[in-house]
Amino acid sequence: MFRNNYDNDSVTFSPQGRIFQVEYAAEAVKQGSVVVGIASKTHVVLVAIKRNAEELSSYQKKLFPIDEHVGIAIAGLTSDARVLSNFMKQQCLGHRLTYGRSMPVRTLVDMIGSKAQINTQHYGKRPYGVGLLVAGVDDHGPHLFEFQPSGMTEEMVAFAIGARSQMARTYLEKHLDKFAECDREELIRHGLRALKESLVQDRELTVDNTSVGIAGAADKAGKVEPFKVYDGQEVAAWIESVADDKEAAPAGGSGEGETMEVDP
Amino acid sequence: MTSIGTGYDLANSIFSPDGRNFQVEYAVKAVENGGTSIGIRCKEGVVLAVEKIITSKLLKPNANKRIATVDRHLGIVYSGMIPDGRHFVDRARDEARAWRDTFKSPIGTADLASRMGGYMQAYTLYQSVRPFGITAIVGGYDPSVDLPVDGEVGRGPSCGAGGKIPGKNFGGPGLYMIEPSGLYWGYYGAATGKGRQAAKAELEKLDLAGPGGESLTLEQAVKEAARIIYVAHDDNKDKDFELEMTWISGPEGPTKGLHQEVPRALREEAERLAKKALESDDEEEEGKDDKMEE
Amino acid sequence: MDHRPQAWGRPRDDVYGPYDASYLHTSMPKTATQSPIVTGTSVIAIKFKDGVVMAADNLASYGSLARFTDVKRLRPFLSTSVVGFGGDVSDMQFLDRHLTELAIDEAYEAEGCSAGDVSSSPSSTSSSDSSPNKNGQLNASNLHKYLTKLMYRRRNSFDPLWNQILVAGFDSASQPFLASVDLRGTAFTSPSLATGYGAMLAQPIMRKYAATEEDAARLTREEAVKVVRECMKVLFYRDARSLDRFSLAVVTKDGVEISEDEVLEEQSWAFAERIRGYGTQTV
Repeated sequence: MFRNNYDNDSVTFSPQGRIFQVEYAAEAVKQGSVVVGIASKTHVVLVAIKRNAEELSSYQKKLFPIDEHVGIAIAGLTSDARVLSNFMKQQCLGHRLTYGRSMPVRTLVDMIGSKAQINTQHYGKRPYGVGLLVAGVDDHGPHLFEFQPSGMTEEMVAFAIGARSQMARTYLEKHLDKFAECDREELIRHGLRALKESLVQDRELTVDNTSVGIAGAADKAGKVEPFKVYDGQEVAAWIESVADDKEAAPAGGSGEGETMEVDP
Repeated sequence: MTSIGTGYDLANSIFSPDGRNFQVEYAVKAVENGGTSIGIRCKEGVVLAVEKIITSKLLKPNANKRIATVDRHLGIVYSGMIPDGRHFVDRARDEARAWRDTFKSPIGTADLASRMGGYMQAYTLYQSVRPFGITAIVGGYDPSVDLPVDGEVGRGPSCGAGGKIPGKNFGGPGLYMIEPSGLYWGYYGAATGKGRQAAKAELEKLDLAGPGGESLTLEQAVKEAARIIYVAHDDNKDKDFELEMTWISGPEGPTKGLHQEVPRALREEAERLAKKALESDDEEEEGKDDKMEE
Repeated sequence: MDHRPQAWGRPRDDVYGPYDASYLHTSMPKTATQSPIVTGTSVIAIKFKDGVVMAADNLASYGSLARFTDVKRLRPFLSTSVVGFGGDVSDMQFLDRHLTELAIDEAYEAEGCSAGDVSSSPSSTSSSDSSPNKNGQLNASNLHKYLTKLMYRRRNSFDPLWNQILVAGFDSASQPFLASVDLRGTAFTSPSLATGYGAMLAQPIMRKYAATEEDAARLTREEAVKVVRECMKVLFYRDARSLDRFSLAVVTKDGVEISEDEVLEEQSWAFAERIRGYGTQTV
């Protein structure tokens, strides 16, 4: 028998105890362009590759601010991400309104985890087709969480999701020990280098296809750096600073148009 | 497994001709792939422990907790699909809160197990849902002393309330394990997840139902729990894991009746002893290592 | 002719005119608490350099009857804050239960947030870390904000919780925090605060010692406790719904200490002799 009978919905276990619909949803995450997140003791950074639908179209949004202290990076179905993002924004706002403080990041992540889990247990629902990296700062310092369509949420030191993200993860694993002590700029550079690792040949980071988001935990004076997304010319200097890395391909230069990543 | 592929296993709540609900059995399979969880009940309290397989080096160490507190005096650990476990815990917390709203006092371990058993079972009844892919172990210590009712303002009369029997002890430790079918039993020592066979064998050696349970102190139970998780992990050696442990003692014990994480110093000591015990075991039985496999 | 069962046995409309059914629904419009029943009187509190002192007597009155004399009106929250309740005692009990649940929920979040290394100091096995803000749990300022929203929402649904509440503890900058909220949702903060009669009798006394935040920041704990005791005595002299047994809470960074068996000492009622204009005196 070739057809798999157990993959039609998210309320059917396979004889091995797997739920294929959830696994397929996880595949949708791999269709999205890559995003990377890293946390140090003081900052947490998200970097992303943006795609454009065609040469002349604008580039998709990959980083979304949620609240002053939290932002997310998405890989997968953007519309699903917007649902989650709206939900997170509302929760953060409500929390701020009732308690006068920013919502602990873990609490927020648990909320979307529970929300996503429901979709894997009830007929007529489908899992979210998006993975998130949630970056935020709270009283415990900076945090980075990964969110999967299964509802699984885990706190990471650094992580990458999306197309070809394995290369980025390999880079992150290699430099794992350094991240804790990195300052703001070093952290961004590590993020961009990890991003470069997962680019296909002949592609490179440009001011058009790269987004950077960063938040900083309270410093000694108690001041928090709010989560902010940087695009376009704002990221030029950072891209420049990792341009002449030893591993970077010397190609680039001419034929700029062809180096841009285009959604199939 | 003869009925597989005949269609009776394609939807939840369907009986096969021989009276089985295949979807529930498949849910059990999901549990059997998860990291090992155990619970030990001894005279002074309960210890819960779980083997957390490290799926990525990029995970933040010790940050992702798997044993959850319910109310203040109960703990839940589970093996299987972790998001399902989180849902289960959320529900348990709702139950504990509802109990407080109604009775103005904390829920008992047995009562929570009963409520949650019912909840699990409900997910085997309908085609519109799937069973939980977890087996949960619920541990708690029911207060053996009179607690003030929630919101109590005064001391009340100085002479005793009616219905009390002098010298009779109430409360004590409780340990229950709830399976995807909703079935639950009380246990002296419970184990589930991938390494449950080995863990059960070790638990049985402790003789918790007999004099072993009487003599085991809570701290010894912590050390045994750590050792058992290490033993159970032995078959799965290629993967690293983190050990997470919590405990609940009576009001006179180290946790004052609360469910808490085992202090780091004690956990590390227990892990050191566990590794040592494992090494000496290996030396004894060199040859017959490749016995247990699935 | 009307054959519906409702009309059976009733005078016919065509003969006697429309039936006046108004006596059938005698109920008034829906009402909620119009006044408190069993009440506690003043709560007073003053900041000092390392924290806040709060006090309230142990009496719950039923009208002018001193009905319950061992009532605890100061409640700790998460062992970092104290909430003091004046006004209706059953509403206080409701709020107390509500705050217990809030504290349990907060503990759930704190356990998820404890990043491994933070938890469990090697020596003590008790609660991992109870310093006011480091653990990221709700502080007094967060709690006060929450209670404000709660009280205001209840007042807007015309079902107020009949209390005046003082919240003491620390704010997110780890500074001593003291604020009040009442049944109308009115909220404010000050170096010293008092509810009920205390607002008239104790507040002026406390202001002598801590008119501004700077003054309060100079007060020692002993001085603050002394001022509060003095105020409790004045309140007992002049407030007929008060008691000479009271609870005293001190919140510092180390936690909350509440003693519930304080007694007013060295009372002197000599001043009573000089009061004229009430009672049966003739001169």
